Order: sequence, then structure tokens, then C-alpha cells
Amino acid sequence: MTLSKMLLSAAGLALSAGLAQAESHMSETADKRIALSNNYAGNSWRQAMLQTWQEIGAQAVADGIVAAADAYTTSENQPTEQAAQIQNLILQGYDAIVLNAASPTALNGAVKEACDAGVIVVSFDGIVTEPCAWRIAVDFAAMGREEVDYLASRLPDGGNLLEIRGLAGVFVDDEISKGIHEGVEVHDQFKIVGSVHGDWAQDVSQKAVAGILPSLPDVVGVVTQGGDGYGAAQAFKAAGRDTPLIVLGNRQDELQWWADQRDATGYETLSLSIAPGVASLALWVAQQILAGEEVPKDLTVPFLKITQDNLDDALATTSEGSVANVTYSLEDAQQVISDAK
Amino acid sequence: MSVLSRPWLWSWLAAAAAFSLTLGLTSGRGAGELGYAALSFGAFAAIVGLGQMLVITLGPGNVDLSIPATMTLAATLALKAMGSDPGTAFLGLVIALAVGFGTGVANYALIFLLRLPPIIATLAASLIYQSLAIWSNRGLRIKPPSGLADFATGRFLGLPNVAWVGLALAILVWIVLERSVWGRWLLATGQNLRVARLAGVPVELVRASTYISVAVFASLAGYLLASFSGGAALNMGQEYLLMSIAVVVIGGSSIAGGNSNVPGVWGAALFMFLVVSMLNSYGAGAGVRNVLTGTIIIAIVIAASSRRART
Repeated sequence: MTLSKMLLSAAGLALSAGLAQAESHMSETADKRIALSNNYAGNSWRQAMLQTWQEIGAQAVADGIVAAADAYTTSENQPTEQAAQIQNLILQGYDAIVLNAASPTALNGAVKEACDAGVIVVSFDGIVTEPCAWRIAVDFAAMGREEVDYLASRLPDGGNLLEIRGLAGVFVDDEISKGIHEGVEVHDQFKIVGSVHGDWAQDVSQKAVAGILPSLPDVVGVVTQGGDGYGAAQAFKAAGRDTPLIVLGNRQDELQWWADQRDATGYETLSLSIAPGVASLALWVAQQILAGEEVPKDLTVPFLKITQDNLDDALATTSEGSVANVTYSLEDAQQVISDAK
Repeated sequence: MSVLSRPWLWSWLAAAAAFSLTLGLTSGRGAGELGYAALSFGAFAAIVGLGQMLVITLGPGNVDLSIPATMTLAATLALKAMGSDPGTAFLGLVIALAVGFGTGVANYALIFLLRLPPIIATLAASLIYQSLAIWSNRGLRIKPPSGLADFATGRFLGLPNVAWVGLALAILVWIVLERSVWGRWLLATGQNLRVARLAGVPVELVRASTYISVAVFASLAGYLLASFSGGAALNMGQEYLLMSIAVVVIGGSSIAGGNSNVPGVWGAALFMFLVVSMLNSYGAGAGVRNVLTGTIIIAIVIAASSRRART
């Protein structure tokens, strides 16, 4: 054995010793199986979420961190269907279920059954209220407030706002809207003169905005919930109105539109959203719980913020027609957990 | 038959009322804008509504619930094939219509060969079409070629191009229903399937062509909608499931079949857009809006059907 080879192997030994330290919480979960129970797959955000799960899950299995990370999606977005799915996952002997729930309350019975069977349940995005489950939530109300704060910083004189809401009756829609209205109370130079439901879909928003615009006075800003900014911009354009300050979400077409406007007219705005990669965070949190880590039941993820400065970076990493995304690593999960402690 | 007894009148009256109530708020400002928007967005509802009307005319139990999935699949595949390249608009149209033809054949095959009720067959098939759309493109939004996008959002003689397409289709359907043998066959089948069969009407041929027509209409609407709104989305067809049935019923066609009404479909399509705009303009919340929309629809259906019963 030559000297260089000896040195290399010595270095390798030292390295693996160090890694063993770091991986102390990994080997324990090597035989654990994690399932994703997902209630809906029919939009680009959910598709990006499932793809992130697939990539991170496959990597985790290949690295021997977990034995399985399978994704299951219900076809009809119904709580009853998802409850049955959770019961199946319990019977299939998964050690943890990562859950994007169709309803915050309707799945509680099934979630309780899972907990009683010794299965770890981690809910994210669409969270459940059952106390035995973990929740990785976004502070949606803060997101709404931040939109109005941003508008106040850009338009100190205030003016009329148009609010585009999401899907009526959904928890997330109520929370973001609540935050927006709280923000408007603080910054009382703004007034919400119209409110429509865009269902987080571009074509629905375009239709709703086109319908209400003729009856609205001048609008200086549009507060949105994501996925609807491009449609609003199209409706303003079709009505021959000046483009107001539209707070955007994270769809690629919104960001591309923003970049085009910036290059043409120096348009400036802000994008706030929830990265679909939050699924990978939930996967790591479940792994940490399985590894015996003390994890608080309520965790908060920061929302994804794109500003004028990092717009080009965000566009460069977002494939055409997809959504801007962040993939979370094990270290990010540990950071989120220690922040919550 | 007096004008008042025409069932399609009520949807047009309702649309006009919603239009003037919205403008009452702005004291007349924005009339052109609102009318233009109603014609643009109403066109998509009218196109799928015309297709749904043909199926519903076939008689009790006949309905196509795969319209949203067919729209999504046709639009997704067409936009993927076009890949935003200029000069491919015609190729995209052919692909979209071929997808529509295919889903129509598949729907009818399920109904005829497996003897499934149309509601079950088309609902089950729609899950497959939706999955195919997801699988084929993973929800990525591809922009339409700019020429096609300009056409879909453009205007001719002051009216939106999509409204011209919807109008042309409405006239075509009206001529076919009123002036062709096939239209008579369709109405006879819808009024009484057994009598029609005994009278020598090729009822299965009529049913097959009707299910193919509705799917082709849906695929055309999907193709236009995706071009209009800057790309196909996986959930783009969602609201057209109930919309397609609502415009048929509000338009004065009989839900029991055997009686169709082309002008009413357009009136109802305009109304469905204008009523939401009206309630939004008056600041009604989502709950109030849904309740009022439902109440108004019931009122129109009662008005239209009681007039018909008296004649």
C-alpha cells in the first residue's frame, strides 16, 4: 500500500467516523416506512409537491435512511375517501403517515386511529386539528398582513384595493383573507373596494376580475393568494386599465410576466407563496420523530418570498410552466424543530 | 305561440336584468366592457352547454360528466404538441378535436358495451382522462403560440372571436336540430326511445354520434380556453361540469329530454357570468352569492317551465 493510499483511507475512516456521529439519528430509521397521504393532485402546485416528495423520498431510501417513502393520492378530494385511505395505510403497517388533509377536522377520527395504532402522523399544508398529530403550518394570516404592509411601503398615499380570494370555504382562504383585512385596518389609507373568488386558478381569476372591473373605481393595488396574479393582470389589460401593483404568487407564468414588465416598464412587486417542497420538510420531520427526536407538535414554515432582487434567480431555477420551489433538507428540518422548541 | 311562452326568453331576461343591475351601480359606466367580458367568458360555457344540451335531449339519464376532464386532456395534449411554436395552431386544433372524438367514442363504448348508466360511465371515464392529462404533462403550463393566443383574446367587428365561434356553433346546432333528419331522430329518441326504435330510428347511431359531439364540443372549448388564458391547467375544466348542465336547464331545455333550446343556452351562458359579476359588484360574500345564484336559477327554471306547461 502506498503512502497516498494509506492517507486516503485514513482520511476516509476519519470522515466516516464523523458521519456516523451525524447519522446517529438515521440508522435507527433504516427499517421504517413512511407514507404520504395526499388529497388532491389536480394542479401544478400539487404536482410539484408530489415530485419533490418522489425525489427526496427516493434519495432517502437509496441512502438507507428510511425503508420506504411511498405517495398515495385520493382521486376525488373527499375526506371520507382519505379517511379510508389512512385506515388502509395503518393496515399496511407504515410507521409514519405524512398527511396533506382534505379537511382540518373531518379526518380526526382516522388520524386518532392511526395514533392509537402507534403510527406517527405529520400533517402539513392542509393540517388536521387532532392533538395526537404533528402540524407543519404556514402562518397564512401573517402572509396576508405582509402583503398589505408591502403595499403600504410602496404606496404611502394608499388607495383602492381589489382582493382576489381563493376557494370559498377553505381554511387557507379564510386565514389569508383575515390577514389582509387586519392589514387594511392597520394601514387605513387603503380600502378594499371589491372582492372576488379566483379559486387559486388563473382562468377563474381572470373571469372573476373581468366581471367586477367595470363596476370598480380606480384600483391601485391587487392583493392575491397566489396562482391568480397573471389572470388579474390579463383582465386589467383586456379592460384597457393601467396595471396596478399586483402582489403575486409563485407560478412560473406570474414570475415571467413580472420579469417582462420589469424589463419593459420597471414594474416592481413582491411574490409571497408556500413552496410545494414543504412536503420534503414533512418527510424529514417524520423521520426525526421516528428517530426518537423530541419534536413539538406545532411547527411553522416560513413562506417563500421573491423580491425584485432575487426574481432572476427564482426564474432560473423554476422550469417553464411549473411553480417556484424550495426543497428542504434534513438540516432545515432540524432547524425548524429547534426553532419551535 | 306568443313570445312570452318561449322558454328561452327567461334566460335572456335574467341576463339583461343582471346586466342592468350591475350597470345601475356604476350609473351606466363600463357597459361595453362588461358586455364584452360576458361574451368572451360566456362563449366557453355556451360551447360546452350546446354539447351537454344534445346529450340531455337524448332522454332521462343521459348526461356527460366527463366534460371537464375532456377539456383538460384535449387542451393539455394540444398545447404540449404545439409547444408554443408559431404556425402550429391548426395542428393543435386537430389534436384537440381528435382527443375529443376519442373520449366520445370511449364514453359511448362504456355505455353501449358494458351497459353502464351514462352518469357512471362518463364519471369513471373522466377519472381516466384526468389521470392521462396529469401523466402526460405533470401540470406544466405551456403557453399557446402567440398567433393563437392573439386570436383567442382578439375581436372581430367589435365582438370577441371566441363569441363568434360560439355563435357559429349555436347556429350550426340549431340548423341540425331543426332542419336535419338527424336532429329529428335525436328529438324522437329523447321523447321515447322505444317508440323511436320501433319507428325505424337508428337510436344507437344517434346516441353514439351525440356522445361524440359533446366530447368534440368540450375539446374545442378546452382548446380555446387554454389559448385564451395562456395555457392549459389541470383544473381548468372544473367549473364547467355544473355550468354545462346549468346553462341547459336555465336555457329552457327539458331536463327530461326530447326538447332542446339553442338560443336559451347562450342566454343562460351570459346570465351565469353576469349574475356572478353582479353579486361581486354589490359586494356579496361567497355564501350569499352561492345562495342567491341558486335561488335565481330555481326561479328562472320555474318561470320557464310553468309557461311551457300552460301552452
